[in-house]
Amino acid sequence: MEKLPQISFPARILGLVIAIILAGLGAGFGFAQGLAVQVVILSSIATLALFVMAWRFVIGQFLEGAPTGDHGPGQLHQAWTQYRWPLIGLALVLAAFLLLSLTVEGFFNPWNVISLAILLAILVLTRTLGRQFQQNRSAFIGIMVLAGLFSVGSMNIEGFSSGNNIKSMLLFASFLGIASIGQTLVALLGGLDLSIPFIIGGANVGLLYLIGLGVPPWLATVIVLFIGTLFGVINGLLSYRLQGQALIVTLGTGFAISGGVQIVTSIGSAYSGNVFGTVPPWLSNISAMNGTTFGLPFPPVIAIWALISLILIIGLRTTVYGRYLYALGVNRTSASRVMISEMRYWVTMYALSGFFAALTGGLLLGWSGGGFIGVGDQYLFLTLAAVVVGGTSLLGGAGGYGFTVIGVLVLQVLSSFLVGIGLDFKWQQFIFGLLILPMVALYARSPHIRTQI
Amino acid sequence: MSLPVSEVSQPVAAKAELQGGRSNPFLLMPITLFFFLLSVAVLRTPSLMTASGIGAAIIVVTPLILATYALMASTISGRGTVDLSIGPLIGFINVTMIQLNAAGMLENPIPVFLYCMAVGAAYQFVFALIVIYVRVQPIIVSLSGYLALSGINLVILPRPGGMAPPFMAEWGYGTSIFSPVLIILLIASVGWLLFTATAFYTHLRLMGSDERAAYTSGVPITVVRIGAHLISGCFAGLASICFTALISSGDPSQGTTYTLIAVTALVLGGASLGGGRGGVFGSALGALNLYMITYVLSTFNFGAVQSFVTNLAYGAILVISLLLTLLIPVIQRHIRNFSPLLYFVSLSVVVLGIILHATFDYAALGEAPAYLPGPLDLQAALTGPLEIATLSPETLDLRLQVAPLVLFTILLVAIAVFLRLAVGQSSRKSVGPIVAVIVAALVVGGAYAIRETAGISDVETVN
Repeated sequence: MEKLPQISFPARILGLVIAIILAGLGAGFGFAQGLAVQVVILSSIATLALFVMAWRFVIGQFLEGAPTGDHGPGQLHQAWTQYRWPLIGLALVLAAFLLLSLTVEGFFNPWNVISLAILLAILVLTRTLGRQFQQNRSAFIGIMVLAGLFSVGSMNIEGFSSGNNIKSMLLFASFLGIASIGQTLVALLGGLDLSIPFIIGGANVGLLYLIGLGVPPWLATVIVLFIGTLFGVINGLLSYRLQGQALIVTLGTGFAISGGVQIVTSIGSAYSGNVFGTVPPWLSNISAMNGTTFGLPFPPVIAIWALISLILIIGLRTTVYGRYLYALGVNRTSASRVMISEMRYWVTMYALSGFFAALTGGLLLGWSGGGFIGVGDQYLFLTLAAVVVGGTSLLGGAGGYGFTVIGVLVLQVLSSFLVGIGLDFKWQQFIFGLLILPMVALYARSPHIRTQI
Repeated sequence: MSLPVSEVSQPVAAKAELQGGRSNPFLLMPITLFFFLLSVAVLRTPSLMTASGIGAAIIVVTPLILATYALMASTISGRGTVDLSIGPLIGFINVTMIQLNAAGMLENPIPVFLYCMAVGAAYQFVFALIVIYVRVQPIIVSLSGYLALSGINLVILPRPGGMAPPFMAEWGYGTSIFSPVLIILLIASVGWLLFTATAFYTHLRLMGSDERAAYTSGVPITVVRIGAHLISGCFAGLASICFTALISSGDPSQGTTYTLIAVTALVLGGASLGGGRGGVFGSALGALNLYMITYVLSTFNFGAVQSFVTNLAYGAILVISLLLTLLIPVIQRHIRNFSPLLYFVSLSVVVLGIILHATFDYAALGEAPAYLPGPLDLQAALTGPLEIATLSPETLDLRLQVAPLVLFTILLVAIAVFLRLAVGQSSRKSVGPIVAVIVAALVVGGAYAIRETAGISDVETVN
């Protein structure tokens, strides 16, 4: 461990006092709840030590190069003005913790104290080390949050870090990840694609319908992927001239696609909108929990997602197509001056978005085993959330698929953590909503208007 | 030799004329669509134009119109503020109002109104503060609000139920036109129209079109943005009151669906999601258009695939009407001083004729006559899908008598348009005149064809 930074005396005293108060409160609650004495003492000491360390870290980072002169207002006041925001933040976190301890029975136990310490450590690390990463700050913060969530989850929830749970998290993450590819690519150009959930649903139903008609499954898959791409191209062509309204254009085509697919599949069927058929075993092997990849015990869809992500990340970074994409997203005029065809990229990205949405629909069919038009509905805003949490700007030009992968994983781990502590869908959604804003605010603040003149 | 000078100065003058004034060419599309849908709806179901028909339509469409107003007020302020959380916000106000009412706290009209508008305004105030001071893109803030509010709605009221405040009990019947809901709608619209006369509104539009220009010319953009959001919140409160009156209970998830519909209605009404352009007239028309699309589609019987066809047509109309806005610059080149009001009035005269026809000319209302195989009757093929009622013999007779007059009118219009184009294009070497000639020939040919088939059916009737 590196040498702890030296901080001024009043600040050290203040930290120690807060730590002692905290430890005392903890011990009080522990005794009040009748826990074993050893546990109480141990957790109090742990709280004290961790807090003092965290305190020195957070304060020390702000002290570098700061004058330690004796003039000006008193030292305590000076310390307050310097460390105001971190102090308020810490106080808020501690207050929330205390409130929960007071209200929720049995909330105060060693595991939760350690979880709190880990959260504090993450906050401190993001505040301190995050400054070193100018370029990939969001990725760093995302990974920190991911690590924190995962460690807190595995301590608090039984079986959270078991192989099965990780497998299922990766499985769902890969569906969301593949569905978010299109959204990321389109967002890099400054557009939005809200037709993704409808294409997912359409592909899901359409694939089963084609298989039910007797078309060989591989051919049906190819047809569905082709039609999905075609819809993407249509989306791109339609929204190219109406870029300000891309949100509505893609929503409109999405409604039309979902209606059209349902009309086609219900012609000659007695069950309107419901499609029946048998999913071929290879398809269900690809995306079912108990699927195997060349004998290894994990579903191939995870490997597919990993492969696609690798190709996309490397492709966006190194190939000329990837660089042109960023160039277009940052500044269209200058990109067109160096002979980059905006139209071609715009349409291609929407086509890719349609392709991957159709792919997700097919994979989800393998997972569920039955066609359902509304299977993609939750991806309407979830893909957007994954892109945004990952750190790709919706205005275009900044971000990348690697960021989205982190965003997807954060959302997935968070959602299984919330399920694990017994919160149902509505609470999950609420907490998702509350978390997106601060996470984005950590790295994606736009400059003040006065700096843009 | 002064010709080149005038040619140079003319486009400049045209541009100035195009920019200035209060005429908004983007209203062209919603007005056209509205009257088209209205005439189809009236022909398909004449019962729409009764007191109860209009009353029911008002009850259903008012929450949507007000939600669109709420969206419009914040969208005008620019930065791509598409408030996705407007639907869940309406749901939130609805749900909390129902729960507070059940607890016996909100019973009188005035506290209910104050509460709804205050909650809406408070939410939008926080929204504005986040956008201004945290400086996150507004769409992310609204996405966050969407998820959070739609989650908490389900926590507050897990399933639809509860009772609306007692004074609202009779609002949702929709048996008469002049219901309190209509009064709320009128007050909201007039309030916005009065607001457009203030300098604050000018600042708002300036900020929406170009925030930097507004900032550098001394507009207090912080205050203006907060003001826009407060107005939006008040509209959201009114929308949730009308929504509660419509369903007369609480529903945690139905309000959420208003988000996508309201955004769609806003865009259909000719507003720009980029900011700076939008108004109550267009927004109300957009919302009405959406209602009419569903209404008209529901008059066709598609059997089991009804809802799918509705989806398909809904999406297609949305995309097509957006694509048609691309034609507006082309139209503007020919009609420089487009007046939405005049256009509205002239179309409404036409539609009034159709309404009168649908109300008084039908002998019997009922199912469409069964389809009989036989020689293709052009007249029936054209009007068949539109009219569901059989006509009385006098009307048929009258229709035949009036045919020459219609033909003459069409000819007159065609000649007028042709002359206008020919004169306008005479100085240029372009394909314009040829196009005009072809179009005129097609119109005349069409009119002749109608006349011919009318003659044939005339003979048939005589036989």
